[in-house]
Amino acid sequence: MSDAVAIVGAGAVSAYGVGWRGLGKSLVKLAVAPSVELAASHPGVLCSSVSEVPSRLDAGDARARKLMSRAARLGAIAMREALVDAGFHDRREEIGAWMGVGASGVAMQDVPCILAESVREGALSLEKLGERGIAACNPLFTFQTLNNFSLCHGAILEGLGGPNGAFFSRGAGTVTALAEAVHSLLEGDCDRAVAGGADTALHPITWAELVRDGFANRGLMPGEGAAVLALCRRSERPLALLRSVAAVPEGGDIASLTLPSHADLVVLAPWGAPARALLSDLAASRCSACRTIDVSLTLGDSLAAAPPLAWVAALDLLKSGETALVLSAGVDGCIGSVVLRQGGP
Amino acid sequence: MRRAVISGAGVVSPFGVGLQPLLDALAAGRAAVGPIRSFDASHFPVRVAGEVPLSTIAPAWLAGKLAGFGPADLLVHDLERDGSLRDRKVPFALLAAAEAWRAAGCGPAEQHASLSIAIGLEQAFLEDFAPIWREGAIDWTAQAAASLPFVRFRSPVDLAARSVRQLLELRGLAVIHASACAAGGLAVAHAAALVERGESDVVVCGGTDSMVNPLGIGGLARIGAPSPRNEPDACRPFDRRRDGLAIGEGAAMFVVEDERRAEARGATALARVLGWGSTQDGYRATTPRPDGAAARRAMELALSRAGLSPAEVGYVNAHGTGTPLNDPAEARAIRGAFGAQAERIPVSSIKGAVGHLMSASGAIELASCLLAFQRDLLPGTAHHREPDPDCPLPVIGEQPRHATIDVALSNSFGFGGQNVCLALGHPGGRK
Repeated sequence: MSDAVAIVGAGAVSAYGVGWRGLGKSLVKLAVAPSVELAASHPGVLCSSVSEVPSRLDAGDARARKLMSRAARLGAIAMREALVDAGFHDRREEIGAWMGVGASGVAMQDVPCILAESVREGALSLEKLGERGIAACNPLFTFQTLNNFSLCHGAILEGLGGPNGAFFSRGAGTVTALAEAVHSLLEGDCDRAVAGGADTALHPITWAELVRDGFANRGLMPGEGAAVLALCRRSERPLALLRSVAAVPEGGDIASLTLPSHADLVVLAPWGAPARALLSDLAASRCSACRTIDVSLTLGDSLAAAPPLAWVAALDLLKSGETALVLSAGVDGCIGSVVLRQGGP
Repeated sequence: MRRAVISGAGVVSPFGVGLQPLLDALAAGRAAVGPIRSFDASHFPVRVAGEVPLSTIAPAWLAGKLAGFGPADLLVHDLERDGSLRDRKVPFALLAAAEAWRAAGCGPAEQHASLSIAIGLEQAFLEDFAPIWREGAIDWTAQAAASLPFVRFRSPVDLAARSVRQLLELRGLAVIHASACAAGGLAVAHAAALVERGESDVVVCGGTDSMVNPLGIGGLARIGAPSPRNEPDACRPFDRRRDGLAIGEGAAMFVVEDERRAEARGATALARVLGWGSTQDGYRATTPRPDGAAARRAMELALSRAGLSPAEVGYVNAHGTGTPLNDPAEARAIRGAFGAQAERIPVSSIKGAVGHLMSASGAIELASCLLAFQRDLLPGTAHHREPDPDCPLPVIGEQPRHATIDVALSNSFGFGGQNVCLALGHPGGRK
């Protein structure tokens, strides 16, 4: 990507609450986010979680929320904020939407309902599952399993109808989502778009997987959240310009990332300590004395949502004429880079 | 301008392993939905599916099918060791990707390729919860049980992508499309976009999925999507008597690359990817938009990107789920997009024959369009016997139709309202 598109709004929900303005400042101050334990399933594990969302800021009504996973609900909250922030009020059927989404996040209260009717003498009984277990769960359970709904609920609630895509993400997919939004804008598939990610690492099964794969032992703190950028091809008064978006896969050539010759601000979103060291070295090659913040220190790793939370933090901290380099490293081994510039081309 | 062509295809379908078994069966007007055999479904509300005829996937058999790929033995061993072969979409993806790679004549010079793959949901392994189900609750502290090698709770979403990447030793970026039933089409469209933009010159792409497992079958039954009749003709697209979908499983993978690159290395193009369009219903989580307006726009965008007029389209491969709501909405969309041409353009759905492959449906339906380009045959619509006045389209009946066409369109619409349409061109065609 060589041309720039304009960022004209943003939305976020994180442990600091709903909203992106002030998020970066909180991170700079290392303000303690309301970290809590994963009490329900894994007591003693510290995490960064979104506290109760005020009803006026919440997504949809109670009925709609029954269809939503946690990530889908957070994604819809962030998407609405981004659309309002950008003033995207009309012709919403033309707006494109791309999101990085995580694993299925079905509410765990339905799983015991199924198991209670399906386990016999310590083993799953297909007979019991077929006859009673399936019927014991809420039919809406199935909709909560659909991970593309972290995009679709927001799109439905906000009436978006343009080109779109949901990418599974442990980091890389969200960078791809932003890159696809930019391409669609530059190629004229749409004039306006939203792009971001929503996810939770607090889901007990997701956390069990991260433990199994060794990430917990290497410093990953589970987090959750969502962040969305509102983009358009050109704007008189952009919040910032998106100068480049790139990703390299695990084992890929990091030198192929398009990095600025100089950055005033570096925002890092590593999953844990080894990734933090890698990103710090990469940032140091472009910037020796600039401000650097690490969103993972207080927000943990929210997987598909980690890169966009870093993007909006950078947006919050960027000053006139400055360039920000945002580097993310997900548990999929992908390195993503996003370059923002404030103050026009 | 760079142009994307399909230079290799691989399929795992209810007709067996391989592209040709699928095309042979469609050419013969056969259907493959039948009783579920891979697990005991006799107590489930849904007992039929378009099931790949592999009740179990033996590691040695799989490794044999993948022979010639350096990492195959180790990969299959690792998948078996951690219980991941239980997730059928993983071996399906490997088999289809291997066939596509070989068919395209790819080798080390193509291993810089990117991957753009549609994958369904994680497969939940309810049996793995049973050991930690204690006194009416899940005991997450039972770490000893939870860390047993075979205990996974669910398969990782990206496992099939990682496995394909490992098998083919790909070095490019892997993009995993999670757009439900639109994902397969979007994955191929994305691959073509990467090629046209010059970001990649070779992309392995497609989709793989299987919900033919206890929780997949049970979950879909719970929302009432499948036909309540457990009969081989469970899915009757565009038929007046339709009452739901048939669940299917399988994979279709392709090698998409720059046309000039394919020509230079002597690869034979199977089809050109002429255009695509995606839209969002923005309507409801549980039902498609009844007026088909967003689906119509996806088709119009695909035609526009391809520089085609409706008159140049010779065939529409419909999403055609056989559900009461989808088919009339799609009929309105097609009539809206094609106007007067809609009276003439043959339409069919292969879901009556193979079932609904969910995330892989768009990919296998693109593969079925190759029947038109390779054999001058348009696939039929299995079990379509009584046309529905609410679906006023020239639907091809149960048997395929002879026709020589230049352009085929393929629709895919996902739960949640994501729509995609791709336009494929005959490799020797004018477009």
